This record gives sequence, C-alpha cells and structure tokens, in this order.
Amino acid sequence: MLSAMNAPNPLGTGRGPVLWLVAVAWLALAGCGDPASREDDRVYRHSLDGVPTSLDPAEAATIYSSFVVLNLYDTLYRYAYLARPYEIVPNLADGLPEVSNDGLTWTFRIRPGARFVDDPAFPEGRGRPVTMHDLAYSLKRHFDPAVRSQGSWLWAGRIAGLDEWGANGADYDAPVEGLRVVDDRTLEIRLVEPYPQLLYTLATAFSSLVPREAVEHYGREFGVRPVGSGPFVLETFHGALTRMRRNPHFERPPLDLEAEGYDPALHARYDLEALDGRRYPFVDALEIHFSQENAARWSSFRAGQVDYVMVPNEQIDAVLSSRDPIEVRDEILRDHHAHAGIEAGFVYAGFDMSDPRFGHHPDPERDAANRALRCAIRDAYDWQERNETFYYGIGEIFPGVIPPVVPEFDPDLPDASVRRDLAAGRARLARYGWTAETLPELTYGLVAGVQQRQMWTQFRSRLVELGFPPDRLDVDNFAAFGDFNRAMKNRQLDLFFLGWSLDYPDAQNTLQLFYGPFETPGSNNFNYRNPAFDSLYERTRAMQPGPERTALYRQMNKMVIDDCVAISGLSRTRVHLWDRDVRMLPDREILGGHFLRFVDVERGGGD
Amino acid sequence: MNDRGPATSARPVVNPGADAPLAPPPRERPRAPATPWRRAVRRFLRDGWGLAGGLIVAGFAIIAVGSWLGAWGTDWVLATGGQWEGPSARHPLGTTILGQDILARALASTRTAFEIGLVVAALSTLLGALFGALAGWFAGGPADAAIAWLKGVLDSIPFYLFVAAVAFALDDHPWAMHLAMIATFWTTTARLVRAEVIRLREREFVEAARAVGVPPMTILRRHVVPNTIHVLLVQASIVFVAAIKSEVILSFLGLGVEDGISWGLMIAESTTEITSGRPWNFIAASSFLFLLVMGFNLFADAMQDALDPREERR
Amino acid sequence: MEGFRFVLRRVAAGIPLVLGVTLVSFVLIVHFGPDPTWNLLGKNPTAEEIAQLRSQMGLDRPFWVRYAEYLRELATLEFGFSESTGERVGTLLGRTVPVTLALLAPGFVLGNLLGVALGLLAAWHRGRWIDKAIMGFSVVGMSISFLVVIIAFQWLFGVWLGWFPVRGWAVHDLGSYLAHVTVPTLASVFVALGYNTRFFRAVFVDEIGHDHVRTARAYGAPPLVIMRDNVLRNTLIPIVTRILFSIPLIVVSGSLLIESYFGIPGVGKVTFDAITTGDQPVLKAVVGLTAVLFVVIQVLADILYRAVDPRVALE
Repeated sequence: MLSAMNAPNPLGTGRGPVLWLVAVAWLALAGCGDPASREDDRVYRHSLDGVPTSLDPAEAATIYSSFVVLNLYDTLYRYAYLARPYEIVPNLADGLPEVSNDGLTWTFRIRPGARFVDDPAFPEGRGRPVTMHDLAYSLKRHFDPAVRSQGSWLWAGRIAGLDEWGANGADYDAPVEGLRVVDDRTLEIRLVEPYPQLLYTLATAFSSLVPREAVEHYGREFGVRPVGSGPFVLETFHGALTRMRRNPHFERPPLDLEAEGYDPALHARYDLEALDGRRYPFVDALEIHFSQENAARWSSFRAGQVDYVMVPNEQIDAVLSSRDPIEVRDEILRDHHAHAGIEAGFVYAGFDMSDPRFGHHPDPERDAANRALRCAIRDAYDWQERNETFYYGIGEIFPGVIPPVVPEFDPDLPDASVRRDLAAGRARLARYGWTAETLPELTYGLVAGVQQRQMWTQFRSRLVELGFPPDRLDVDNFAAFGDFNRAMKNRQLDLFFLGWSLDYPDAQNTLQLFYGPFETPGSNNFNYRNPAFDSLYERTRAMQPGPERTALYRQMNKMVIDDCVAISGLSRTRVHLWDRDVRMLPDREILGGHFLRFVDVERGGGD
Repeated sequence: MNDRGPATSARPVVNPGADAPLAPPPRERPRAPATPWRRAVRRFLRDGWGLAGGLIVAGFAIIAVGSWLGAWGTDWVLATGGQWEGPSARHPLGTTILGQDILARALASTRTAFEIGLVVAALSTLLGALFGALAGWFAGGPADAAIAWLKGVLDSIPFYLFVAAVAFALDDHPWAMHLAMIATFWTTTARLVRAEVIRLREREFVEAARAVGVPPMTILRRHVVPNTIHVLLVQASIVFVAAIKSEVILSFLGLGVEDGISWGLMIAESTTEITSGRPWNFIAASSFLFLLVMGFNLFADAMQDALDPREERR
Repeated sequence: MEGFRFVLRRVAAGIPLVLGVTLVSFVLIVHFGPDPTWNLLGKNPTAEEIAQLRSQMGLDRPFWVRYAEYLRELATLEFGFSESTGERVGTLLGRTVPVTLALLAPGFVLGNLLGVALGLLAAWHRGRWIDKAIMGFSVVGMSISFLVVIIAFQWLFGVWLGWFPVRGWAVHDLGSYLAHVTVPTLASVFVALGYNTRFFRAVFVDEIGHDHVRTARAYGAPPLVIMRDNVLRNTLIPIVTRILFSIPLIVVSGSLLIESYFGIPGVGKVTFDAITTGDQPVLKAVVGLTAVLFVVIQVLADILYRAVDPRVALE
C-alpha cells in the first residue's frame, strides 16, 4: 500500500459516484419509461417473434414492419378480415378500380374524409386531407435513388415512365406518364403491360400513402416518426415494444362481418357477432411486444402480460391434445381462444444451379448426372422427420413450389419429390457413377442460431446416410442474415435453406424465384436457367387469373420439380392462442397486420 | 503511466456481464526471490478445499482427455434416442430435440472447454509475460509507453464488441473467438508481470548481476522470468476460467463455437426447453460448467496461497 | 493553475488512446464487420441498386477519408443516423443510455455496497468461520455463469413464482420501475457480489494488518470507528478506482445479456443489434464514446489520487 493512504480523505468523495448514479437512475425513471396506460383504456397487447426496423413504408419488407406500418398508414386495399382464400377488398379505395379493355389503364378512386394525423410537419400542426397526390408521391418514392426502397421490385418495369423518372433525377414535381392524378380523389395508373397483381401490390405496406410534408420535414428520421392516416397513431416505438393510440380522425364504414367473410360454422366460437355494425378501431390503444426469444414470449403470455401468442414449437404438447386433427386441450380453451391456420409461405432447401459441379452443365451427359445427384439428395431428405422435430408435426408437406395457400395449388400432384426414399437416391447415384470419391464438396450456409444449427445437423445426417463423406459437408456460419444473404447472392453457398413469405396470394410470387433473368443478386437464388420455364413465366406475366394461367403455372411448377432445383416444401401451421376476453381472429400472413383494427377487448385498464 | 502500486492492480475490473478475467486481489509481493516449490506443494496439500478443487479439475481433465481419445462422448451428434426423452439407463441425462444423448454432449463439451481454456490461458499468459517483462525492464522508455498504449486501447474496447468484431473479421474461422480472448486477456497479466519485473530489477541479486556485466537478456531469462512464475501460474488459471465462462456466453450469442458442441450451445438450446418442462440440457450444461469453474477457482486460490511467501507470517 | 495544467496534461495523454481505440475498432468494423447493404435490399435487387445503396452509405469511399470523418464526428458528437431505423444516433443514445443506467444502477450500487460490507466483515474476522462462510459463498458466486443466473432467475421469479414481469420495460412510476428492475438487479448482484467481496476483503485484510489499525485495536477503539476512520478511509483509492473503472464496461457489455434476455431497450441491446446488422453509425458512436469515457474516468482517477497524495502528480 502507498503510505499516502494514511492521509485523511473525506469520505464524501467516495460517496460521490454512488449518489450520482442513484440520481441518474431517478432521472431516467422520469424520462424514459413507456407511457402509462390510462385507467379506462381498452388496450390490446399483441406479441410478435421479431422486431421491425424502419417504419418507413418504403422499407417495410418484413411481417414485423408491416404489422406496425399497416396500422399507422392507409393502403388502397386490404384483405377481407375472415374470408379464406384471401380476398381483396377496398380500404381507403372507393370500390374496385375501373380497368380499360386492354388492361393497361386502371382508374382508382379513394373515399372522401380521410386525413393525416396532426403533426408538426403540417402547417400549424394540423393534419390535412389525404389525396391521390399522396399515392402518386408514395409510389414515386420507391423509384427515387435517395430512398432505400425495398419494395420497388413490385412495380419495376410496370408503370409507364416511373423507372425513367427515377433514373432522370427523381424530381417529385416532374410528372410521370403512368401516374396521372385526375383529381384529388382519382388516380389513373398506366401500365407498360397488363399487371394482374397490381391490386395486390396496393394492399402491401409498401404502397402506404405517406405525406410529402412529413418525409421532407423529418428527412432520415422519417423511419421513426411516421405520419399516416391509418387507424392508429404512434405513441412509442423501440426494439421491444410499440404502442399506438386510436386515431380519432380515422373514419370508415362500420364493420360488416358478412362482407368480411364471416362464416358461423368457422367463426361463431370467437364471439365476433357483437362487433358487427360497429365502427372500428375498437380498442383505445394497441401494443405490440417484440420478443424474439420463444421462452420469454411464451412466459409473458402465460403470465398475462400479453394477450396473444403464436405457440412456439416446444410448447405444442402442452397446448394440443391431438395433432391430427388439431385439437386444443380443454384446460387451455377455458381461458383462451385458439386457432390453427396454415402460413402463406413455405420453407425449402435449394441448390446454387450456377455451380457446374452439381448444377447446370453445358455437357448434357454431365448435366444429367448433376441432376441425378440433386434428385438423390432430395430423395434422401426426410420432410416427415423435419416436420415432427421442428413444426409440431402439423406442418403441411407439399411437392413443388406452389404452396397450399394459393388458389393455383394442385392437391393431386404426385408426392414423390417430398417422400423420403433413400434406396432410390442411392440407386440414382450409382446409376450415374457418383461414388464417395467423386461426390462434390458441399457448403451449406446458415445464420447462427440454435434451430438453424439443429436443422443442419439433421439434414447433414441424411446426406451422410446417402453416402456423402462427412468431411465433404461444410457449414458456413453467418452471425447475421445480411452476411448470409451476401454469400448467397455472391454464389458462395452450394446449398441453403430458406423460408418464403408470400407478398400476395398468387403463385407468380413464388414462381418468380426461378425466373432466369432474376438470377442473383436478384430473387432467383437458385440461379436456375431454363428457357422453357422463362418463356412460360413471360407468357403468364400479363395473364388474368383463370384455368389457363393455372395450367401454365402448374407446368412451370413441374419443371422445377423435375429439375430437382429445390427440395420443397413445407407450409407451417401456426397455432394462435389469445385471451378469452379479446374478440378477434388473428392472422399474420401476406405480410399481415390489417386485422388489428378489428380487435376488441372487454376489460378496461392496461395491466 | 507510472506504476501506482496497489492502485494499479485495482484497475482491472470485474464486469458482471463479461466474466472477464480479473487480477488476483492485491496481496503483498513475495519477499524471497525464489519460493521453494516443495514447500508450496506441501502447503497446497494441507489446503482441503484446494485439494478438492484440484481433484475436480483433474476429473474434468480426465473427461476431456477421454473424450479427445474417443473413449466417451463420441456420439454427441448422432440421434441415439427419441426426441426429448427423460433420463433413463440408456440416456442418463435424457436426449435433445434431435434425440442426441445429453450426457455425451456434456462430456464432449468438456473437451471443447479445456481446449479453449488451455489455448487461451497459455497464449495470453505467454503474450502477457513477454510484453509485461519488456515493459517492466524498459519501464519509462518508449517500449513501455507503446505497450501501455496498446493495453489501454484493448481495455477500452468493450469486450463483447471486440469479440464480435473479431468473430466477424475472421468470418467463421474456428479460432476467431480464441484470438479475440487472447488479445483482450493478456493485458492484465502484462500489468502484473510489469510491476513484478520493476520490483525485481531493483533487487540486490539483479543489481549484482548487472554490475558484473551479465547481458540484460540473460538476466531477464535467468533471474527475472523465473521469479514471476507464480504470478503467471495464478494468472493463467484465472484466464482459463474466464475463457470458459466467456465461451459459454459467446456461443450463446452465436459468436463462439460454430461447428462443434459446447456448454454455451447446450444452454442456448435449452432456453426454449426450460419453460416447456425439459430442463435436462440446461441442468447438464450449467452444472458441468459450474463444477469445473468452481473446482478451478478453489484450485487457483489454493495455488495462489501456496505460492505466496507471505503466508509464512500467518 | 497547476491543477488545471495537470488535468490538461492528463486529457492530452488520453488522445492517443482515443485515436488507438477508434482506429482499431474502425478497421474491424469497416473492413470486417457485416455489410449493412445486404440487410437493406429488397427481394429482387439489381447490381445498380446495390451499388447505389453502398454509395449512399459511403461504403465506397477510401478508408482514410471515412476514418477522418469518424474523428470529425467524434469531435462534434454528431454521428448521423442509424442505417436500419433512420433514427438520429444522438436521439437513439439519449433514449437508450438512461434506460441502461436505470436498469443497472441499483445492481451496481448494491453489488458494491454489499461487497464492501461483506468484505469488511470477512476481513475483520479473518480466518474465522464468518470469513470462511463469506468466502465460500463468494467462490460459489464467482463460479456460476451470469448467463445461467439470468435464465434461472427469469424462470424462477417470472415464470414459476410469477412475482415479477418476465420481460419488458413498461416503466412509468416507481412501482413499475421496481417490478421491472428487481430480477435483473438480483441477477447482477448475485454475480458481482462474489468478485466484489473477494476484492474488497483482500484490500481490507491488507489494511487491517497495518500498524495504525493494530494500535487502534489494541487501544480498544470500537470496531465501527476503526473501520470508518482507519480502514475505509485509507482504502478508498482502490475501492473508488475499481468502481470508477467498471462503469464504462458495465454500461456496454454488462447490460447486453440482461437487456436482450429481458427485452429491455437499452444501449447494450442496441449495440449488439448494430453489430449484427453492421449499423456503422451506431457502432462508431458507441465505441468512440466508450473510449472517451475511459479517458475521462482515467483523468478523474488521476485527479483523485492527486487530491489524496500530491506526490502522485510529481512523478
């Protein structure tokens, strides 16, 4: 010890930091908490397993962003609350559009009375009426190079003059040929070629109407300072919670259950009738709790801190008394409502077809051998096992890439491509001369995480069974999805496992994943190139829904199956649980979140 | 910066989040230049808790070696049972979601823990000894200042941030985590060695050697380094524990062990299972971890006491 | 005047440290960190869009230009906007740092106070059963992983007993603050206490062995008076140094696990998310400010030593 320690030293200096910290703690208390709920508030507390990043509609690419954005902003269309298959209905739009005979000119009208919420971005802080200029502006934003749009692909090359407008400096005062504002309530969209999915795109969060004043006022911070005309107004938003309050200016005709697809046989048990004919939104405040850890999400639901949960895999035994048919335990149903529904999307594995070791090859003989290798891997794959282990055994396994949720799904397709047949796989390898010595080294990419790792472990043991030497199966771990994505887009992964959530209920949305010109960095991560497929895809691009298009879709689906491009797939069944005193039917599909305006709770108070 | 005596050893800090290594609590420096090892061993054997700790560590070492030789814990990746089985004669600690034997996984993880602990402890101690000796011998010179600067820099970057950055930097290189830990853990050792060397440099036998013209490197090698061995041993054992504990947290965060098995990965798996009444993954991994760390802590304490000449005065 | 020059000299000595930290971390972040581009792309990106995005984020500029800009940002405390949310980095830190402080302050204060108290108790009764019991507990505390404690406590108090909220930070009054802060505080005290007690005990044992304490004891002065006047007063330096230096580490690293596990919007969670998404503006701010905080604390500590012992300054 230094001898100087004997010198007197007032205790006061030692206490300083401690006192200071205490003071900071109390200060923080005053400043940073989430707002209190008012006594008489009726609050609905939803929970989600992911976190939105930006609330700028131009960047609303995830389910999580959509859940918030669709409740703060208005879109022209939405999906009917209860009708399945999904059915598009007007939201801010005044009815369906008028479409010209050539399918190129669409005239949209919006209902009167909608206005943006009060915000300092507007003169005198008062929100102004919503007009079609806002829609034109919002669509233009996606093509402005200064905006980090993640949704521009929905309209790229579709609307006359819009791409060029962006390329020529994105001057918002310059007109775009294809976006003609006839009057405040009427917009005429001129297309380059018929675009049957246009209506769907106007139900996505990407198409939300944003006011130019707010974008310009908040600049980069617009992503955290949303100003919309939706049913709710933002109160709090951070990585763990968002809290919204009912928008007093939001006016829509009362809820018409019948028009929303109400079917007593399916929906009577959810006590929704009482809501019929009432004006929504029904709750005073809406909270969405973002909690990525299954355990924490489930526990906070069980402890009554949130009103809703999507049942995590490991809890399924505690919730279901039977998996087929799906039946929920009586003791759960005493306090909760339950609903099981299939996802609008699917999970699948894919090969990088640009790799000549196992993908496309100029030499037809080798090409056939490569195809046999891919098919053998698909034969060895055990969807049943994966379903049992990771999706409660209640996922729906289907062949090909047209998932059950879309109308073009073919329930009669042979299931050979999803049935495990190890012997057939080995026979294929033998027939084409693949041996332990000649099998290529495969690199599988995964985003570090418990489940992803477990899935790979399972996949890997199937490949070893097939005859792959274990040391020829590499795994590339990525700590973040962005890095995984980069590796995939740069064609560094041979084999990957992905999920796809549909942006709209049309098989075109998944078939585009195999369209040659969309090869990486585009959405065709398989780098699949098949001229026959591409020409069919181009033909169906402009076709209206109908048997003819469905037949072509199915033909394309069959090509993907026959070429063993993907190991596909499985649509997960989601089991939703919610409190008995909440009246709703939750849904998270098609980048959902629209249903939250129809939620009602019977109790008062926040917690 | 000049040596501030005890204040310096007070500087490295325990951070409850980081489980970072800490300097041993300030004790008086040894008085005699060389502690007779036999006396240290005798003293160690008298310490019941230390002995127990040593036995625990030895037990784990045997597990690790056996697992390395393939005697047990080899089938940790294969599904040898059904999903989430409870404990049974065949699977004493039950099975995982994939039907893997939890005991085999816990045993195989012991090997991982030892690998990480040993590699990190050895290399960071080596690095610390080297830089510490250099800084101490040339105290006040530019080399000392440069090393002090480097230590300051490494200490000022938040631990997890640093490890994460290195993990990313080396993409998914299996040694990323080791490297990051070595790079951060040597600083404490270096600080202690530096103080020790400064103290030794002033002592008569070193002065004498200098006076008769023995080259500095020889003095360092022959007189100074051997006298810092006790600091190095204690510090290495502390780093060993810190490395194991950090590995668990890093693997849990997805930044650690990537292609293999570790207690951290087991705990990461278990977080979803605990709430659904399947605690075996968690219990297995956390109790293995606890026992080993506890054993090592006891062992390190006893070793420190045994090597500390001051204990004479008791 | 001389004191002012002393402070200036210490601050100046901190500049190379800040430069070093920023340079090392910037190399790591920029050259090796995750590429934020690939998180921000749409579903069907084109090569031009990728190039455009990279140039918008300034990723295509030379390293030294970007580093110089970083230093300018650090000097002006203007770090721009988060790449993922668009929130101003200043606002983000202003929002999250208070949460972290409020979250960790009780555990930090309690952990140190209890550590000092137990350390004193053990040192005073050195070698007797009280000492042995306290040290036994501290070894146990040191041996349990923080991660295990967090998981176990959350399950125990939040799920099984149901006394406290499982997660979240819905703090709006004292009651709700206590409800949310209790379990994290228990966990961090539980883990820190072992280390703290050991450390403080060693410091006190050393001091109690000194002649002035022995003399006071021999003269029969009351133990509490001896502790206050002879022991605590003289060991303030190591105690305060330790407490001071643990602040920056705790704010960033210590809160990471707690915040992500309890779903609390503090700076640790935000930093970790920034690491995994490559949100460089946020990372630059956190790393740079932590380095500055370290320097500030070092200067504070030096001033403290000097106040206690003027000779320190003359070295």
